Amino acid sequence: MLLSKSEGKEFLLMGNQAIARGALEAGVSVAAGYPGTPSSEIIENLAAVAPDADLYVEWSVNEKVSLEVAAAGSFAGLRSLCVMKQNGVNVASDFLLHLVLSGTRGGMVLIPCDDPGAISSVNEGESRYFARLMEIPLLEPGDFQEAKDMTKWAFELSEEISNVVMLRSVTRLSHASGNVKLGELNRAKPSAKFNFSGNLLDAKTGPVITAPVPFRHTQQQAKLKKAIDLFERSPFNRYEGPENPELLIITSSACYLYSREALRVLDAEKRAGILKLGTTWPLPPELLKKHLAAADKILIVEEVLPFLEENIKILAMENIDSIGKIKFFGKNNGTIPSVNEMNPDHVIKAVSSILNIPYTGMPEEYEKSGQILSFTKSPNRELTFCPGCPHRASYWSINRALTLNGKNGFVCGDIGCYTMAILPAGFGTIKTAHSMGSGTGVASGFGKLKSFGLNQPVVSVCGDSTFFHAGMPALVNAVHNGSDMLLVILDNSGTAMTGFQPHPGIPSDAAGNKLPSVDIESVCRSIGAKTFTTDPFNISETEKKVLDIIENETGARVLIMRQGCALSPEKKGKKKYNVSVDSNICKGTDCGCNRLCTRVFRCPGLVWNSSTGKAVIDEIICAGCGVCADICPSGAIKRSEVMS
Amino acid sequence: MQVKGSKEIRAGVLDSGLCTGCGACVSLCPYYATHKGKTVMHFSCTRDEGRCHAHCPRAEVNLDMLSSVIFGEEYSAEPFGSYISIYTARAGDKAGLSSFQTAGTVSALMKFSMEKGYIDSAVLTKNDNGFGVPVIVNDPSGIEKASGSRYSVSPSVKGVNEAINSGRKKIGTVSTPCQTLAIAQMRGNPVKQENFIDPIALSVGLFCTWALRASDFTDLLKSMGDVSTIRKLDIPPPPSSVMEIETGNKSYIIPLEEIRKLVPEACSYCHDMTAEFADISVGVFEGRNKQNIAIIRTERGRKIFDEAVNAGYLIREEISSKDIAPLAAASINKKKKGLAKLADAELVNSEGKDAVIRIKKSTLESIFKGGALCC
Ligand SMILES: Cc1cc2nc3c(=O)[nH]c(=O)nc-3n(C[C@H](O)[C@H](O)[C@H](O)COP(=O)(O)OP(=O)(O)OC[C@H]3O[C@@H](n4cnc5c(N)ncnc54)[C@H](O)[C@@H]3O)c2cc1C
Ligand code: SF4
Ligand code: SF4
Ligand code: SF4
Repeated sequence: MLLSKSEGKEFLLMGNQAIARGALEAGVSVAAGYPGTPSSEIIENLAAVAPDADLYVEWSVNEKVSLEVAAAGSFAGLRSLCVMKQNGVNVASDFLLHLVLSGTRGGMVLIPCDDPGAISSVNEGESRYFARLMEIPLLEPGDFQEAKDMTKWAFELSEEISNVVMLRSVTRLSHASGNVKLGELNRAKPSAKFNFSGNLLDAKTGPVITAPVPFRHTQQQAKLKKAIDLFERSPFNRYEGPENPELLIITSSACYLYSREALRVLDAEKRAGILKLGTTWPLPPELLKKHLAAADKILIVEEVLPFLEENIKILAMENIDSIGKIKFFGKNNGTIPSVNEMNPDHVIKAVSSILNIPYTGMPEEYEKSGQILSFTKSPNRELTFCPGCPHRASYWSINRALTLNGKNGFVCGDIGCYTMAILPAGFGTIKTAHSMGSGTGVASGFGKLKSFGLNQPVVSVCGDSTFFHAGMPALVNAVHNGSDMLLVILDNSGTAMTGFQPHPGIPSDAAGNKLPSVDIESVCRSIGAKTFTTDPFNISETEKKVLDIIENETGARVLIMRQGCALSPEKKGKKKYNVSVDSNICKGTDCGCNRLCTRVFRCPGLVWNSSTGKAVIDEIICAGCGVCADICPSGAIKRSEVMS
Repeated sequence: MQVKGSKEIRAGVLDSGLCTGCGACVSLCPYYATHKGKTVMHFSCTRDEGRCHAHCPRAEVNLDMLSSVIFGEEYSAEPFGSYISIYTARAGDKAGLSSFQTAGTVSALMKFSMEKGYIDSAVLTKNDNGFGVPVIVNDPSGIEKASGSRYSVSPSVKGVNEAINSGRKKIGTVSTPCQTLAIAQMRGNPVKQENFIDPIALSVGLFCTWALRASDFTDLLKSMGDVSTIRKLDIPPPPSSVMEIETGNKSYIIPLEEIRKLVPEACSYCHDMTAEFADISVGVFEGRNKQNIAIIRTERGRKIFDEAVNAGYLIREEISSKDIAPLAAASINKKKKGLAKLADAELVNSEGKDAVIRIKKSTLESIFKGGALCC
């Protein structure tokens, strides 16, 4: 459907698909990214049609490299796209800072997908500030149609100003679906050539460099001014509402839909108007001046940080003579919550209080008892690892080895499914958790604190994809500086958390074609780290190895725990063992066990039957890894190999 | 005695520096483990009552109740606790021993008992890379291999638990006083298991003034060479105050002051020098070279001891009260010091909180008065 030729027809598309279609309509040739929710489906969808659409699509090793790969396409005159989640922009930002100075050639669009409320993130990062910081245009689609149309337009804009354009999506746009009317596909296959023999100062034909900086910076700002002119006339900025509204809502992105719903629910469409902005940086001043002058009360509805709010306030201040006195409502004065996702309820509350419209969405009693009921009566579904997940077994052994060692050793973590080891799911084993690869960098630092009396063993964990992304430089650092630490690479053979995208350790590309893979073990060895491997499903051997490496080896060491993800295509739905509990042997809550399997190990495949006082296996959920048979102290859990 | 759970063990014993590392809580369940002489707790158990607490020699030990289980009488304030008779002893030719710590009395008793079928297995403590670890011996010929003393803290009672788990019903044990206390508590069936039969057929206790922090002691040994080539580790009786170590082709003499620095805090709370709850307790006869002192405490201990003498496994001699006076003094001294330290920490007969020791008030007073020196 992404390659459908039914122009003018409506299709139900997911926001990320709409973006992908927009890029195809623009004739994109190169697309690169690093997986991260909620952004991953854009690259995945493009990868799926890559052979038919003459595209080059890649999952890059990290966001910075993906931006570099996309930039190369642009330098060669092709249209290129780069996709990442919000915090990826931080990773890419160093290159971005230089790229915006050198400028681009073929249209180049950077798409960060933000995750307000951190539904699938360990941060609530904001990518919009980067547009201001880097002085590039920022677009924010307000619905699914715009997601497609603005993506296409972004390429044109980029070529117009010879610079990167940022298009920001959010979870509720990327992952929800809506009707999209298709446009014409651009199937021309352009040829690529990198021109560099022109004048040093000629951005179109000379070398692509940032020097001389003041000259380029001046050029860049001039280009940005050009964007403002286009924004003043852009159809993606729209006003709907009365001519002189009592309240003007200024909003963008998914918050536009919430604002519309709020006015409808409050029946306030005749009293309040909505200025929906699609081009949020730089702001088009004439358009805003006109609307700000028409209302006394302004409510700014946006997610995460008060980006629009700050910029509008500056603009209003600069134009106070023509606009007159106005009162602002938004995040800064607390009308809109300053963290977490927005929703129609928040907007309804804000509008009803500003306009004095009595509103009770739900009788208070009802809401209260609903909250209590949902807390007490709904089954408690904690965040945990899947049945058969190798991480549970890995942390079991790491935790036990650190306990046996008895010297208060600890684990520094980073981002991946395995971050859940901050919770009981991983026995609370992780004690620091930050950005990609950072556990190893932090461990490298801890491992140098011996002279200050830090005698605790230092361990870091890092997934296989994360190792390539940002773990490698940290390991190089640890080896080079003689840090005393152990890096455990939880190698589950894929970027599991975001849906099994390949990474450099996997012998295939985004479209499933064969590629050479990079062997983690040899990389670690050649970096100079003493490197060991183990199968985490062999818990006694793994525990012994961790303990032995902690106690008897020094310097920067690596232990690769290799076992495929339970959801990997190779494993999913295929049991290695049939597992059952012999209820005559199970000790249950008796002294000698006290429900080790269901209370501590807690694989979802193990269920506590409170009426018999015995553990049982839920055969539907059990993934058949057989690890619990080794943890049961009484030998009550039996496993037998499934004949294939 | 009041039985509680692992929460109390963690707070009151492990985290309070009271754990003796005896291993009595290990191999009962998945939550305890021992590594390099240290007992640790994996994850946490939520039971309010358990065998870990019931057996631990540092959690709610009621000396009077225990004494009545083992000896049928109240705890005695005598320097050696309850006993029937005291002798000097050494292994006889029939025992066929060529290596032992002092005079081979312990190994000879174990060997005789196993050959006679009084015990079906012996839980001893062997040297594993410089650490003391329990070993279950099922064959009389294996007993000598585990002879000699491991001066580092050793989780020997773990081996007793494992022997019980594997179905042994007549177990012979060799244990230091804290370990002996744990074994005695277990023998009293504190958690009231149904169909409980005491699985210990012979409990031999060792005299002990202190043990050493295992990791630190092993590091010291390793600094002298390959720990697997250590042939002899001995503390000759006073007035010499040294430890003698013989490895491969060298011998070392280390001043006891150096060694004492490696004594764990937990030993300073110990009030038992002669393993008062054993069937037979054995130690060094300090006055005479290569002789043991054996304290016979129970009827079954007496029976086995006498038979071993008659069979030529042991050689026994009478001992005069003058000869045991130094041991009595040392023993009462340790009892006073340990109980005083516990009392200072409000761990004796504590009210409203867990005690380490419960003991009849008048008995405690007479121990502190230092009187009641026997014989
Ligand atoms: C830590 C320690 C401290 C001691 N302190 C004193 C003291 O202060 N005064 C004194 O008179 N005697 C002390 N002894 C006892 C003494 O060292 C001899 O064990 C005792 O005299 C018996 O001698 P034997 O020749 O009969 O022993 P052997 O026939 O050699 O048999 C010794 C037995 O003890 C077992 N064993 C070795 N180490 C341990 C251990 N750590 N825990 C439990 N069992 C063990 C062995 O497996 C063996 O079965 C101590 C022993 C130990 C282990
Ligand atoms: S760990 Fe084993 S004995 Fe304990 S509850 Fe589970 S099945 Fe039963
Ligand atoms: S109560 Fe029983 S199961 Fe729990 S820790 Fe103690 S010995 Fe183990
Ligand atoms: S039983 Fe022994 S090893 Fe366990 S906590 Fe008590 S003293 Fe320590």
